[in-house]
Amino acid sequence: MHLAEVNLELYIPIGMLVVMAVLFVTANMVLTHLMGPRTLGANKDVPYESGMNPIGSARKRFNVRFYILAMTFLVFDVEIIFLYPWAVTFAKLEPRSPEATLFLARIMFFIATSIVAYVYAWRKGVFRWD
Amino acid sequence: MVDSQAMLDKVWFILPEIWLVIGAMVVSMMGLSGTRLVRDAVPVVVCCFLAVAMAGIAWVYGDADRLAGIDLLMPQLGPYVKMILCAIGIVLAMLSVGLIDRPLEDSLKSGRARFDPIRTSRGEFFAFFLLSLVGAMLVCNANDLIWLFLALELTSLPTYIMVAISRPSVKAQEAAVKYFFLGALAAAMFLYGFALLYGSTGTVVLTEMRDAFAEQAAGDGLNRLAIVGMILAVLGVSFKIVAVPMHFYAADVYEGAASPVTAFLAFVPKTAGIVAIILLLGTVGWSGHGAPGAGGLPQPILVTLWMISVLTMTLGNVGALLQRSAKRLLAYSSIAHSGYLLIGVIAGPGMGINAVLFYLLAYGVMNTAAFAVLSGLQRQGEEIESLDDLAGLRHRYPVMAVVMAVAALSLLGFPPLLGFWGKFSLLIAGIEAHRMPLVVIALVNSAISAWYYLRLVGLPILAMPTPASESITHRPVPWARVAAVIAALGLVALPLFVNELLP
Repeated sequence: MHLAEVNLELYIPIGMLVVMAVLFVTANMVLTHLMGPRTLGANKDVPYESGMNPIGSARKRFNVRFYILAMTFLVFDVEIIFLYPWAVTFAKLEPRSPEATLFLARIMFFIATSIVAYVYAWRKGVFRWD
Repeated sequence: MVDSQAMLDKVWFILPEIWLVIGAMVVSMMGLSGTRLVRDAVPVVVCCFLAVAMAGIAWVYGDADRLAGIDLLMPQLGPYVKMILCAIGIVLAMLSVGLIDRPLEDSLKSGRARFDPIRTSRGEFFAFFLLSLVGAMLVCNANDLIWLFLALELTSLPTYIMVAISRPSVKAQEAAVKYFFLGALAAAMFLYGFALLYGSTGTVVLTEMRDAFAEQAAGDGLNRLAIVGMILAVLGVSFKIVAVPMHFYAADVYEGAASPVTAFLAFVPKTAGIVAIILLLGTVGWSGHGAPGAGGLPQPILVTLWMISVLTMTLGNVGALLQRSAKRLLAYSSIAHSGYLLIGVIAGPGMGINAVLFYLLAYGVMNTAAFAVLSGLQRQGEEIESLDDLAGLRHRYPVMAVVMAVAALSLLGFPPLLGFWGKFSLLIAGIEAHRMPLVVIALVNSAISAWYYLRLVGLPILAMPTPASESITHRPVPWARVAAVIAALGLVALPLFVNELLP
């Protein structure tokens, strides 16, 4: 295939995305450099600032709440994964047709289950960090 | 594009299951309520949801037009199996009343503790209870291997947790871990089988798979991969029905779990597994394929099923002879009954499958009755396990003693109880299908089983109470005993309606 045959216009959104990504990163770095306060110290230079200490034994005990919170995160992560293909298919369906209604009902049921999961986790005290 | 009518029909037939999922969400939230009344209402709500689901099943399957158009391998399995799952589910829910969180609720009542949602698990227990039932019901609607796998896993995954939270004891947790790891192994096995089945036919849809197999059989016989895949799949699923060689967990898990959960384990996953095996074998078909002269299932599959059936009933019955614990005894009895069930599966559609479905109902009722007696009694808040605890039960709890005797006689297949009619129809189906050796082995096994079932009859009724059995009291909540009486009445009364009950 010759270059002339390739419809370069199709690549414009990708190009824009690349430009935006680069701009976003450089802008953030430049702005923090210019505006951010500067405090130096021993803690500032560790690889995970404000995180765990990377030196010493890795076999430490973590609070079990981390895992519970991670599971709660998974509920919504999975939901997002389902919502994308759903949204792509739903846009192609004929409005107000039976299958469109069914599609909508299905995703509503699915979202309802996630909301129940969220309320359940809330009531169980997953987000309470004493 | 999607075929909207087929999709709507698919959803239509799982409306009762969707309803029960909603029920699971409702009870999981109710269990977290700070009001004692709401928490105590959880089992009632579960029973209501199941009762409405039963009406729903009758309603959705009453639609003849949709039923005619449904693309399932065996649509006739659906209404019957789902009905018995829901009906026995109601009795099982009654058994579990007051089982979960008993110490916590006691200390709440006496004001020694404040309610904290993180410490309760009653709502979760009943939510998992409903979800597992939903999984078993969805197996009946499986029209492809992926659905079948997911439904089987939905049946099993909640039961692992139910075993673990059923009672505050290390035994229950040990049982749950064993059950989980062996269950994962079995799942891997039948998944491997499914992969081979897909590889040999190029489809996961069961009806298309049946056509592919018919084509292969008309040519130069079934693909070897298909036969290996089918055997692996059946062996993997035999974990769910506690059949040899996947029966090892049964005694330990049944003993470790609380009695109501054991009753659940012995019925719900078994029903799901049997239906799954019937669906899988339905793709190969019971007639028309296979080696010349055999005229049934392909020879290697038939031989495998035959061996599983014989080994399962023999090992189950011989193993039960050695038990001192009532729960372990009933676990081995559960293994033996899976062996009997497989006779009907080998006999095939028509009488065989009908007998299997009827036997599932009968086994569900009698097994629930036996475990309900164990659930209704206690010794200082602990479960009673040993057979000796039942000695002379008649003197203190005459009704419970009679229920235990009726359940054991029915499990033995004593006429005119429900278990007799179940076993009778299975054996007739076996004879009709010219499986005489299998029927003879089953009869010999029944004779062996008499020894230990009659002990379950004799100990409560005839034996004198021992100091150990004198310390038995009843549970504060009466519902398990009510369920025991209901199940025993069913065993006596349901034979009057055998003709209506046969699918």
